[in-house]
Amino acid sequence: MNNAYAGRFLFIDLTHRKIRTQPVPDTLKDLYIGGKGFGASLLAESVPPGTDPLSPDNVLMFMTGPLTGTAAPAMRGCVVFKSPLTHLFSDSYFGGSFSHEIKYAGYDGIIISGRADTPVYLWIDDDHVEIRDAARLWGRDILETGARIKSAIKDDTVKTAVIGPAGEHQVPFALIGCEFNRQAGRAGGGAVMGSKNLKAVAVRGTRLVRVHDPRGFVRACETALAELAASPDIQTLTQGGTAASVEFANETGLLPSLNYQYGTFEKAAALGDQGQGTHLWLGTNACMGCPIGCARIGAVRTGKYKGFVSDIVEYESAALMGSNLGITDVRAVAHLVKLCDRLGLDTMSCGSIIGFAMESAQKGLIPSPAGIDLDFGNVAAAQYLIDAMGHRKEGLGDLLSKGVKAAALEIGGRAEEIAQHTKGLETPAWGPRGVSGMGLAYMTADRGGCHQRGFTVPHELAGQWNGKKIDPLSPEGKAGMVIALQNYSAGTDTLVKCDFGTFGISAATYADLLSSATGRQSAPDIFDQVGERIWNLTRRFNLAHGMDPAQDTLPRRFVQEPLPDGPARGHKISEADMAVMRSAYYAGRGWASSGIPEPDTLKRLEIDP
Amino acid sequence: MLFSSIITKPDGFIEPKGETAINAFIHIHFDKCTGCRICQLACSMALTGGYNPRRSRLAIHPKTEHLYHLPVVCSQCENAYCMQVCPVGAITQSRDGIVSIDTETCVGCGLCGKYCPVDMVHLDPDTKKAVKCELCQGKPACVAACPSEALEWVTPAATAPAAEKENFHE
Repeated sequence: MNNAYAGRFLFIDLTHRKIRTQPVPDTLKDLYIGGKGFGASLLAESVPPGTDPLSPDNVLMFMTGPLTGTAAPAMRGCVVFKSPLTHLFSDSYFGGSFSHEIKYAGYDGIIISGRADTPVYLWIDDDHVEIRDAARLWGRDILETGARIKSAIKDDTVKTAVIGPAGEHQVPFALIGCEFNRQAGRAGGGAVMGSKNLKAVAVRGTRLVRVHDPRGFVRACETALAELAASPDIQTLTQGGTAASVEFANETGLLPSLNYQYGTFEKAAALGDQGQGTHLWLGTNACMGCPIGCARIGAVRTGKYKGFVSDIVEYESAALMGSNLGITDVRAVAHLVKLCDRLGLDTMSCGSIIGFAMESAQKGLIPSPAGIDLDFGNVAAAQYLIDAMGHRKEGLGDLLSKGVKAAALEIGGRAEEIAQHTKGLETPAWGPRGVSGMGLAYMTADRGGCHQRGFTVPHELAGQWNGKKIDPLSPEGKAGMVIALQNYSAGTDTLVKCDFGTFGISAATYADLLSSATGRQSAPDIFDQVGERIWNLTRRFNLAHGMDPAQDTLPRRFVQEPLPDGPARGHKISEADMAVMRSAYYAGRGWASSGIPEPDTLKRLEIDP
Repeated sequence: MLFSSIITKPDGFIEPKGETAINAFIHIHFDKCTGCRICQLACSMALTGGYNPRRSRLAIHPKTEHLYHLPVVCSQCENAYCMQVCPVGAITQSRDGIVSIDTETCVGCGLCGKYCPVDMVHLDPDTKKAVKCELCQGKPACVAACPSEALEWVTPAATAPAAEKENFHE
């Protein structure tokens, strides 16, 4: 029966060079749908507590969802692993076309374990799976590696997922480059790949993805497209991508500036869609199957760094590599982002760490390296640190390449007070002091401080949630909103959806897409239910792997230092505010006041004790 | 927004609506192509009943780190090499200019694909017969699906000078 699933996983054990496939159990589909759900379930099964994330015992999973590879608009893939940055569950999402190709090759997911004794890459050509020597690729950057693999296979339509030197050096915030300008960026999937001596995965798939009810599915796609077209948020994304958020965040005082000391930046317009429109953009670049096209592609053609292709400098990068470092020339920011993309470093973590290093130098906690002024606004200093971290160069490069949490601990003194992270994951570019609910979302996100597991900002600034008034600065009324957003996000990450698709596509339409594609009748609330199940499963995983609920907290700066500027000037999220939100959150989740899921909650969600 | 009008056709249903493609063609605006491949998904669904851009009858070639995307469609050549090299006469051109393959006659030798300079004729991996774009009987699914107007359906009526059209109507 056609059901949009490929119906099997591909398992690769690099230690023993063993390759096998296994059918996807129906119970897994029933309970977890796909994507994040499959990954969370398999990670909990296969990675025991105490596993070193960079040991052969960790697994790296490329997961698709039932709608990946179909015409359902804006679908992606995810990488799931135990993170070397947070030592917790982690899922990192990527657009482009790599996940679709996995599906076309006939797999719902690729599960990689062990460690090859020498550098290798995987070549997956439908049923043909080969472990190939990568000695001559080792040390090369992501773009060069992708090109060489395509040249070796003699087919430039092959899709690749590649690590750069940062992944090879097991920098815990190294990313996986999934074709041009698309990355599984956060929490160090690239380091896990590097620890397995796995330089790349190349895939070519020629199978058809067939849905259960083609007519019903095409109708559901049409509804989804109409919903997207009718959404003003989607229209904004189509016009200016996430770059348009720079000025929005600046006006609302949520823009990280000078290592989050401030919430506004005088030159925000130069970094956002205005600046990028003038200096970078030429056309639109869309992920496969996406009508939104939030990426604007172009080139830096003037100035000191001229002569390279640049995708949109999306909001998180523009803020964390721009305003957070006091850099005002968007061409310079694009240059720094491109260096990260080539080396294989997460621009978000990188921007946060460089901001931390610049403030640390300013406060005399670390010395500037010889010949480098480690000052805010100094592009050369940022470039020096990116290169030093990416190659794990002795001294400051090696120190900072451990991530902001570990680096601050090692520096000691007051360094920890200016390190912005939750559970080791560097804070995203939405300062939470003007939106308390976003603070709670950071405190409780399964992979550490992440904005994508429950993005409260638009609801809080609109002052409304579920028809009720909410005050963005108050801790009251935030727990229910964060829980609902987290559940829905985790639930739809099983498909695997793009967050932006949810700005237009309704739960009912996602359910119609899922039902008609798989033949499994699904009501719109399936995503809330499955999402809650996943959230409790990952919580249990994290607790078993040594997470202390006391880590459900915010960086000191957001708690102790009132925001000095912007509309929420004078506000902070106090210890008392955190306590109020935390206890309401635990209660709302069916967790004990200690932050541990109650047995009844796990039982209700059909999670084995 | 442009993509509200997208129509994709399910499981092989191509319904001729009486608008035959009389020397009509698909004009490509590469500058508007975003590389989303929605055209290819619509094509593969319409003609194979499943999704995979590799199984569609048009191509998108990304260039220069995806700075450009160049769509390629069959030109329905007047002097079609694919047609000339076919050893069994399975490829013919109709009066309206569409170059099509009779799958009953096709022996699957693949010469047609070999001599197409833009790689627009392939052997179907399931049937082992040659397949190519035949313009969906005047209603190309790819053009209808394109969200960015990169593919334009040009008909003689649309391109004829106004005076000529008036004469035609008289």
